[in-house]
This record gives sequence, C-alpha cells and structure tokens, in this order.
Amino acid sequence: MIYSWKKIVKHGLPLLTIAVLVEIFAGQILQNYETELIGRLLIFLISIPVVNSVAGNIGSVLGARLASGLHVGYITHSLKDKEMHQNLIVSLLIGFFTYFMLAIVIYFGASFGNIVGNIALIEFVSVIVITGFLLICVVAVVSVLTAFTSFKRGLDPDDTVAPVVTTVGDVMGIVFLIVIMGIFGVGI
Amino acid sequence: MYAKEMVKQSLPLIVLCGMGAIVAGSTLSLMAELFEKIPGLIVVIPAIIAMRGNISTALGSRLGSAYHLGVIDSDNLWSNELKQNVFGSIVLGFIVSLIIGIFAYTSSVFMGRSPDPVIIISIVVIAGILSALILTLMTIAIIFLVFKRGWDPDNITGPALATFGDIVTMICIFASALIFVGVAT
Repeated sequence: MIYSWKKIVKHGLPLLTIAVLVEIFAGQILQNYETELIGRLLIFLISIPVVNSVAGNIGSVLGARLASGLHVGYITHSLKDKEMHQNLIVSLLIGFFTYFMLAIVIYFGASFGNIVGNIALIEFVSVIVITGFLLICVVAVVSVLTAFTSFKRGLDPDDTVAPVVTTVGDVMGIVFLIVIMGIFGVGI
Repeated sequence: MYAKEMVKQSLPLIVLCGMGAIVAGSTLSLMAELFEKIPGLIVVIPAIIAMRGNISTALGSRLGSAYHLGVIDSDNLWSNELKQNVFGSIVLGFIVSLIIGIFAYTSSVFMGRSPDPVIIISIVVIAGILSALILTLMTIAIIFLVFKRGWDPDNITGPALATFGDIVTMICIFASALIFVGVAT
C-alpha cells in the first residue's frame, strides 16, 4: 500500500494552516467593508469569487507550464528567458479578455436581479478589468518566482505553485478590488 | 512558440471556471441577510473556499497519479488505497475547518467584534465535512467516468473540481449557516 490517511493529513496540514491563516486576513478585510458589500455594492460581492478564480487559474496554469518547461529544459532558469516572457504576456492577454467578458455577464445578470444600483456598466467593467489586470500581474510574478525558487531548491514546482498563487491571489484580489473601487469612487 | 497553445487549450476552461465562480458569487449574494445576522460569518468565506479547493484538487491529482501507477483502476476502484485517500481528505477537512473557525473567532475578537465562538466554529465544521463528503464522492465519480473512457484524469479533475468545488462549498456554508441562524438571533 502506498497511501496512508495519516501521511496525507500530516503532509497537508502545515501548508493548509498557513494558507487559511492568510485567507482569514482576506476575510477580515471583507468584514471591514461588510455593510457596503451586502448593501448597495452587492454586485461587487458576487464578483469576488470570479476575480479570485480567474487569477488563481491563470496563475496555476502558468506555474504548471513553467514547471514543465524547467523540468524538460525548454525554459532556462533565468528572469530573461524569452519563452517565459511569452508565457507572461499570453497570461495577461487571457486575463484581460476573460475579465472583460465575465464582467459584462455579471452586470447583465445583476440587472435581472435588480441589484446593480446606480453603478454604470462602463464603471463596473473598468473596475473589474483593472483589478483583474493588476491581480494577474502580481499572480504571474509570484508564479514565476515560486516556480524558479522551488526548482532551485529541488522542490517540485507542481506541488508548490498552485497553493502559493491561489492564497496570495485571494488576498490581493480583495485588496485591489477595494482600492480600485475607492479610486473610481463607487461607494467605498 | 508554445504560448499559443495556452490560449487554445486553457482559455475555454478558464472562462468556464469563471462562469462557475459567478454561480458561487451569486450564492454569496443570497447570503447577505445571514452575514448581517451572524457576525464573523463573512470572515470564513475565503478560507473555506481555499481549503476545499486545495484538499479536493490534491485528492484528484493523487488519484490521477495512482491511476498512472496502476494502483487503482475502474474494475477495482473501491480499494484500500482509495479508502486511505478518501479518509485522509475528510480528516484533513475536519481539522482545517476547526482551525478556520478558531482563527476567524480570535481574529474577529482582535478586530473588536464579538461573534459567538460556538456558532462560528460549528458552521465552518459542518460546512467543511458536508462539502468534503459531496466533493469526495464527486471526485470518485469523475475519476470513474474518466477511467471508463480511457482518458487521462490529470486533464479533467483539476478544472472540473475548480468549477464545481466553489459552488458546492458555497451551498454547504449557506445550508450550514441557515441551520444556526435561528440560534444566533
């Protein structure tokens, strides 16, 4: 037998404990703006899982691709690697397109549910796309650094990148969303 | 130019997962009244979604590797190896839910709020176990179907669990909070 439940718990627990501790920090930011988010800014509460899911997935795909590239050798362990730069640019483009599309879907979904309030389509789409763009930048950098650092230390980037990227992405996603909403003057 | 294939192969899945997240977000918006009635509840949301995502994708990828190693197959799916994996994931979910509840309570107190520790911890633990059971069964069902067709589970379980995982987790925390809202008010 190669699996034992005790080992699965023992190996999973330390990283998960750190991850949920960081996520609780994200939760406290939400609680701080709770009244607004569950009131007239409900449309942004709906967007939070979307903002985080897209960035988490793009970061994980990027990390997995970098990991395979490093393992096989077509990506070199250098911040100037051209193949890596291409991957970064494509990630940003995919992110831009996905956020733009999903923001429009959310806005029209929310207008059916009558929870848009006085937020204009262009305002909402801009907030989500800018938040998403900033988040993808952070997530991409974290993904590259985690993949390279893990690889250098003999750890498999396939094990490390996804949890690190999704955890950092969740917190920064909420922070960026609140900041950009503030800059646009929507409510907060 | 390897980057082009990233657009072709992963863009549809990323958009699909995003659609799943919209459903999860809408569930979140339906909980608005519960957040008002149960102080501290909103704090656990990012943590419980992250926990569920981590545990179930790890389970999915372990079962994928087990399949490639020939340790499990579709004729003999319910083996001892699978049971160890399933039990490990559920125990891990229970312990981490407990940790989330405790962190959420203590950090809220630190922030000057006063949630009820028993209610917050109970909601997280019940939602954690409930979603663990549902998602573990879903993972096994997905793996089974994938085996039957001779596909590679590594390509399917990750995106499938990312899409359904958030939705199932949100519905479980919604249901669990509904049980306790009577006690809280």
